[in-house]
Amino acid sequence: MALLTEQDNITAVGKIRTVRSRNFALTVPALLLLVVFFILPVVALLLRSVMEPELGLDNYRALLGSTTYLKIFLNTFSVSALVTVVTLAIGFPVAWALAIMPSRWASIVFAILLLSMWTNLLTRTYAWMVLLQRTGVINKTLMGLGLISEPLPLVNNLVGVTIGMTYIMLPFIILPLYGVIRKIDPAILQAAALCGATRWQALTRILIPLATPGMVSGALMVFVMSLGYFVTPALLGGTANMMLAELIAQFVQSLVNWGMGGAAALVLLVVTLTLYAVQLRLFGTARMEGR
Amino acid sequence: MTAPFLHIRALRKDYGVVTAVRDVNLTVERGEFMTFLGPSGSGKSTTLYILAGFENPTAGDILLNGQSLIATPSHKRNIGMVFQRYTLFPHLSVGENIAFPLKVRRLPRAEVDAKVAKMLKLVRLEGFEDRKPAQMSGGQQQRVALARALAYDPPVLLMDEPLSALDKKLREEIQHEIRRIHQETEVTILYVTHDQEEALRLSDRIAVFSKGVIDQIGTGPELYANPATRFVAEFIGDSDFVTCRVLSAGSGRADLAVGTGMTISGVPMHGIGAAGSNAALMLRPERLSLKRGAIGGNSLSATVTDITFLGSNIHVAAKVPSGEALSVRLPFGHEATSGLARGDTVSLAFDPASAHVFCA
Repeated sequence: MALLTEQDNITAVGKIRTVRSRNFALTVPALLLLVVFFILPVVALLLRSVMEPELGLDNYRALLGSTTYLKIFLNTFSVSALVTVVTLAIGFPVAWALAIMPSRWASIVFAILLLSMWTNLLTRTYAWMVLLQRTGVINKTLMGLGLISEPLPLVNNLVGVTIGMTYIMLPFIILPLYGVIRKIDPAILQAAALCGATRWQALTRILIPLATPGMVSGALMVFVMSLGYFVTPALLGGTANMMLAELIAQFVQSLVNWGMGGAAALVLLVVTLTLYAVQLRLFGTARMEGR
Repeated sequence: MTAPFLHIRALRKDYGVVTAVRDVNLTVERGEFMTFLGPSGSGKSTTLYILAGFENPTAGDILLNGQSLIATPSHKRNIGMVFQRYTLFPHLSVGENIAFPLKVRRLPRAEVDAKVAKMLKLVRLEGFEDRKPAQMSGGQQQRVALARALAYDPPVLLMDEPLSALDKKLREEIQHEIRRIHQETEVTILYVTHDQEEALRLSDRIAVFSKGVIDQIGTGPELYANPATRFVAEFIGDSDFVTCRVLSAGSGRADLAVGTGMTISGVPMHGIGAAGSNAALMLRPERLSLKRGAIGGNSLSATVTDITFLGSNIHVAAKVPSGEALSVRLPFGHEATSGLARGDTVSLAFDPASAHVFCA
C-alpha cells in the first residue's frame, strides 16, 4: 500500500476546508437574523447605558452603588436559586420515574409536561393567581377542611413567585435529566443492590453522581432563565421582592431611562454569560469523567 | 439429616399468562460449581434473578442454610453477582468499585484497602486500581466485576452469562481464570450459560433447563452418557435421531427394529414405549462405525451425502433410506475414508449400549 505523500495530505486538508466553508455558508441566514434583530439592538442598548444622559459610567455607579438596586440584584439571585433548588428537588424524582416506568405511562406523563409547556405563559400564570389568591381554590379548600382559619398568603410574595416559576421551569430540568438517567443501565443499580447498597446508598452514591451532568446542565439552564424572568414575578410577586427584569421594564417603560435600563441589562447579560461559561466548563469535565 | 446448603423448592414464576419458570427443584452443595444450561427462554436466567432477589417467585421457596431468602431484599442477601452486561460503576475507579460493597458495609478503611488489594491480586489486576472502567477491556471489566462480587465473601456467587460479550479466545482465557478462582476461594457458584462447551468446561454439575423445568441434573459425563430426555441428548454433545419401532421393552431397555432389516436389542430406553409403537433412536456421530458397501446384518445401510475435512476429524454426512440424516465422525486417516465419495453406500454399526431410545 502506498504511503500518503505530503501532497496528498495538503489536498486532503484543502478538501476539508472547502467542506467547512460550505457548511459555514449554511449558517449565514440565521446569523444575519441574529445580528440584525438581536446583536445590534443589544449593542445599541448597551451603548445608551454609557452615553445617556452623558458619556461615562454614571449609570453603573448609580446601579451598583444603591442599596435599593443591590437588594433587587440579591433578590433576583436568591429567587432564581430557590426556584432552581425546588425544581431540581421535584424534577429529579419525576425524571427517574419517567426513566423506569413502562413507556406507555411515560408517554402520558410526557404529554402532560409538553401540554403545559405549550400552553400560553400568561394563561398559566393567571391560572396560578386564581388558584393561589386569598379566596382561591387552595385557600378555600384548606379552610373548608378546617386545616387553617385564616387564608394563607400564597400570592404577591416569594411563595407565589416560587410556585409559579417552579411550575414553568420543571420541563427544562426533567427533560435533560430524563435523557441522562435513561442512559444509565438498570443492571448497574441491580449490581449496587447486590453489593449491599440500600436504596438510599444506591441513590446517593451511584445514581446521583451518574446523573450529575444532567443535573448541572438542567439547573444552570433553569437558573439562567429565572434570572431574566419577567411575567411570572410581575404577576405573582409582590413589590417587596422585585426582580431584575421588572426593574429593567420599569426603567424603560415608566421612567423612560434607557441608560439605567441598558446598564441593568448588561449586568444581567454578564452574569448569564459567566454562568454559561461555568456550565460549559463543568459539563465538559463531567463528560470526561463519565463513561 | 442436615439441610442442604442451597435448596430451590418448587419454584414457579408467571408473567401474566406466560410461565417463565414452571417447577424448578434443585439442591446445591457448599463449594459446588453448578451451571444452569439451556436455550434462551428456558427459565435459567429467571431462576437466577429470583435468587438475586430482582424477581419474586409466584410460588416455591429458596433456602440458604435452611433459611428462606424470599422475604429478604437484594441488598441484605449478601449474594455476589456478575452480570452479562458490564455493570462497573463508571464514575468510580477499579479500586473504588471493588471497595464499594465494603464501604456500604461500613468496614474500617484499613480493612477495605487490604481486601481491595487481595481481590486485585485474586483476579490478577494488581496496579489497575486507579483506572476507570472505560479504560479497561471487556475481559478486564468482567474480572473487576468478579472481584467486586467476591470482595464481601458471599456464600453464593451468581454469574449470568458473564462471558457472552467477549470473543472466543478471551472467553476461554477467562473460563480458565474462573475455574482457578473457584478453586482458590471455594465459593459456591451458580452459573448461567447457553453454551454447552462452557458448561462442560467449568461445572461440577449441570442443570439442563427446558421450558421452565430442569430436564436433568448431573455431571457433564453423566449427561452425555445417559441423557434423560431427547432435549438433553440434543443439547449435550452432538446427536442424530432415527425413527425406529419398539419390538419389546422391559427394565429400562428395549429391542428395536430400525429401517427394514436391522434389529437391535438392549438399547437404554427413556419414557414409556409399548411394543409396536414408534420411537426416536439417538446416535452420536463419534460412536458410529462405518464400513464401505452394503454389508447387511446388524447395521444401518446409508448413502453418503457429504464429506467434510475438519483437521483431526473427518465428518461424513449420510442419509438412511427413510430420508433421515446421520453424521459420522471418524479420525483423519481412517481406512474407510480413503476414496470415499458422495453417493457411496455405507454400512453404519454401533454398540446398542451407547445408543438411547426416546419414546414419546
